[in-house]
Amino acid sequence: MPWRILTLLLLALAANPAQARTATARIDAIHAAGVELRDVEVRLHWPAQAGRGELRIQAARIEAPALGYRFARVQWQCPLAPPREGAWRCEGPLQGQGGAPMRLAVDLSPASTDARLSRDGAVLSLQRVAASPDATQLELTRVPLLWAQALLAQAWAGGRLAAGTMEGGIGLHTPGDRPLRVEGQLQLAGLGLESDDGTVALGDVDGAVRFDLRVPADAGMLLALDGEIERGEALFGNAYLALGTTPVAFGLDARQLPGEGWTAPRIEWRDGRSLQASGSAGLGGGGALHQLDLQVHSASLAALPDRYLSGWLGLAGLGGLALQGAAAATLRLDAGELQALDLHLDEVGLADPRGRFRIDGLEGDLRHAATGELDSELRWRGGALYELGFGPIRLPLRNRAGSLELRQPAILEMLGGRLRLENFSLVPPGKDAGLRLGFGLALDALDVGRLSRAFGWPEFGGTLSGNIPSARYADERLQFDGGLSVHLFDGRIDVGALAMERPFGVAPTLSADLSLHGLDLLGITGVFDFGSISGRLHGRIDGLRLVDWTATAFDAELHTEPRRGVRQRISQRAVQDISSVGDASFVGSLQGRLIGLFDDFGYRRIGIGCRLANEVCTMSGLHSAGNGFTIVEGAGMPRLQVVGYNRNVDWPTLLERLAAVASGDVAPVMD
Amino acid sequence: MRRVMGISLMSLVLCACVTINVYFPAAEAREAAREFVENVIGDEAASPPPATPGDGGMAMRPTRFDPWMLLGIGSAQAQAQPDITIRTPAIQAIQSRMESRFSSVLRAQFDSGALGFGGDGMIVVRDPSRLAIKDRVAVNAAVADDNRDRKAVYREIAVANGHPEWEPQIREVFARQWIASARPGWWYQQGGAWKQK
Repeated sequence: MPWRILTLLLLALAANPAQARTATARIDAIHAAGVELRDVEVRLHWPAQAGRGELRIQAARIEAPALGYRFARVQWQCPLAPPREGAWRCEGPLQGQGGAPMRLAVDLSPASTDARLSRDGAVLSLQRVAASPDATQLELTRVPLLWAQALLAQAWAGGRLAAGTMEGGIGLHTPGDRPLRVEGQLQLAGLGLESDDGTVALGDVDGAVRFDLRVPADAGMLLALDGEIERGEALFGNAYLALGTTPVAFGLDARQLPGEGWTAPRIEWRDGRSLQASGSAGLGGGGALHQLDLQVHSASLAALPDRYLSGWLGLAGLGGLALQGAAAATLRLDAGELQALDLHLDEVGLADPRGRFRIDGLEGDLRHAATGELDSELRWRGGALYELGFGPIRLPLRNRAGSLELRQPAILEMLGGRLRLENFSLVPPGKDAGLRLGFGLALDALDVGRLSRAFGWPEFGGTLSGNIPSARYADERLQFDGGLSVHLFDGRIDVGALAMERPFGVAPTLSADLSLHGLDLLGITGVFDFGSISGRLHGRIDGLRLVDWTATAFDAELHTEPRRGVRQRISQRAVQDISSVGDASFVGSLQGRLIGLFDDFGYRRIGIGCRLANEVCTMSGLHSAGNGFTIVEGAGMPRLQVVGYNRNVDWPTLLERLAAVASGDVAPVMD
Repeated sequence: MRRVMGISLMSLVLCACVTINVYFPAAEAREAAREFVENVIGDEAASPPPATPGDGGMAMRPTRFDPWMLLGIGSAQAQAQPDITIRTPAIQAIQSRMESRFSSVLRAQFDSGALGFGGDGMIVVRDPSRLAIKDRVAVNAAVADDNRDRKAVYREIAVANGHPEWEPQIREVFARQWIASARPGWWYQQGGAWKQK
């Protein structure tokens, strides 16, 4: 068609070559190869006696509606020489409204049309052969991906191409009776793409794609896409993919549904041993994932945290998690909700980089479904929670209507004893509630010595037993019913009202009420290197609250109770230590300085109280003594009495003094 | 009917009897929040944060050192118990962590407008497109970490002051303070809408 117009114009001009002439043709509309030009003016000006003329073509609008391209007020101007062997050639600047100028070269002949559009090293050449007018071949050389923005907007209104170039060939097929078809192969370099809301982004993606896109006039697009990604990064919501070193192959068949959504009956992702996935998906109008069927397999989990999981792990505060082993999963999402998950693990190891937990040799199956009953079993070989190592476990699981339960109690060996887990039930986080967890726990003879070693406490022997019929975890709080009993120093400490907040989160807290029964003081003072006191210690520590494993509040009252056959003696060093810690002075029949003459003293009662709040310990003793309080009430001769005067003690200072006492740094002070 | 009336009256009387008014020390909470927030946000200039004691900071008072104290002599005088304390080691540890996170990652993103203060005392990623993709992941993680810290701080302040039920009020006071302390140009949420300071 353009060739014919030009030929006609030239024929009109040829009437009188001796004068300058101008021929103008106005055409309302031109339709060619899916492109429509409106209000076109073709003007050919031929100066008198000149060897060449000036061609100017203006179009008010150029539109390729199926591909989404629209240009306004386009003008192309070029010098035109008489046709050689029937072929016209013209090259000149092309300017559209609001666009940067480009260069367009056109070769027109009866048999073919060749056009070459270029700017800044980017070249897009087009070739059409008259014999097959429905096929147009495009060759791209370093073409900015921005030029494909309009095409992208047809498929995804919220997507913006930001950077990158493409190179390759594209075939454009525009048969009148069949859908428009675009197919080709492109090499992409530095692809950058971003959704309007910033939730989807691709950056610096290098790769290659083969695509076949069909755009029926009255239905949504059909796309078949295959390709390789050599490197690049991608963000989908909270999922962050960082690809490099090894290429990833992918494939996709997709169809645009009426009402903006997409369905993808084929999705494939082949990333070596790290991840192989295939399945189908459905996206809603807003790009939200509605439906997903996916089979995933990873022969080696080691690269997964870096390549795929870092976004999620960072959000969960688990950045740097180390994974190993192999896993396979199938999962199904419907209406945006997880309907079924079938996970198979093989020799999986998990390790928190901050040392909060570690699990080795995790294997077995986990089956979860929103409805119905399913049995599965998980096992691990061992692991650790903070400093506490634990042994193997077998978890026979049952999925019942979306929640996960234990079919039989599970036994875990820990700290030389046994821990029995029963009535376990887990409800995964859903639309309106977070993770909920419930279980019962029975502890049998856990070794306190190992526990204290693990936490770096002074070593003391004993056992920890107890029964917690029900523990619940919800809203980051772990609440225990029932109690534990610690057998220590030939006595017993009962632990009740046990609760934890943020057990794995920021500043984990633990609260409990303790009551002490008949602890052997000789053993305690020996372990803490606190002189030596014989007798039996009783008392309570109520409202104990540890934050970050440091005591921040409690109300303690400790005292001795006489027991038949137990001597109540206190050594000279213990008296001095108590004094330096409790800021006490000696009162009694004896001058303080005479204390050095005796190795130990008999006592009738010892009692001390501390109510810690707001970093201040409010001290009390057995009873008031003047403006002080009695801590040690002596017996026999020499009779000793230790009285504290300072009722409010700065807690950090008190701890410092205790540490000084334990390391023997305190010099005795005599009044 | 009379019986019902009688029971109602009784329960009304009972209710009246057990009504306990716990006074929430709003002014002290505001002061504590101001101090905490200013410490985290810090000075924009490179000058170190004000370390001078006695600038009204009940919570930031450095521990006094009294050599006699170690020897059990002298008075380990208790601090006058303020109505709202933020001087527990846990809260202080979180504060210093938030401080370094703010200066290393978050401040630049507040300046760029990528982040904003939510109306609920949390940080919100307002405009992720202002961040490079890799930064977006790091900033998302930092925001998640910071919001976990914030949640813990609001809770711990309420608990440390003996009133866990004050948590929502503390959070509210802090939410207002983050916005009040925001530097010019930073974004914040008010009534669901974004505004620029």
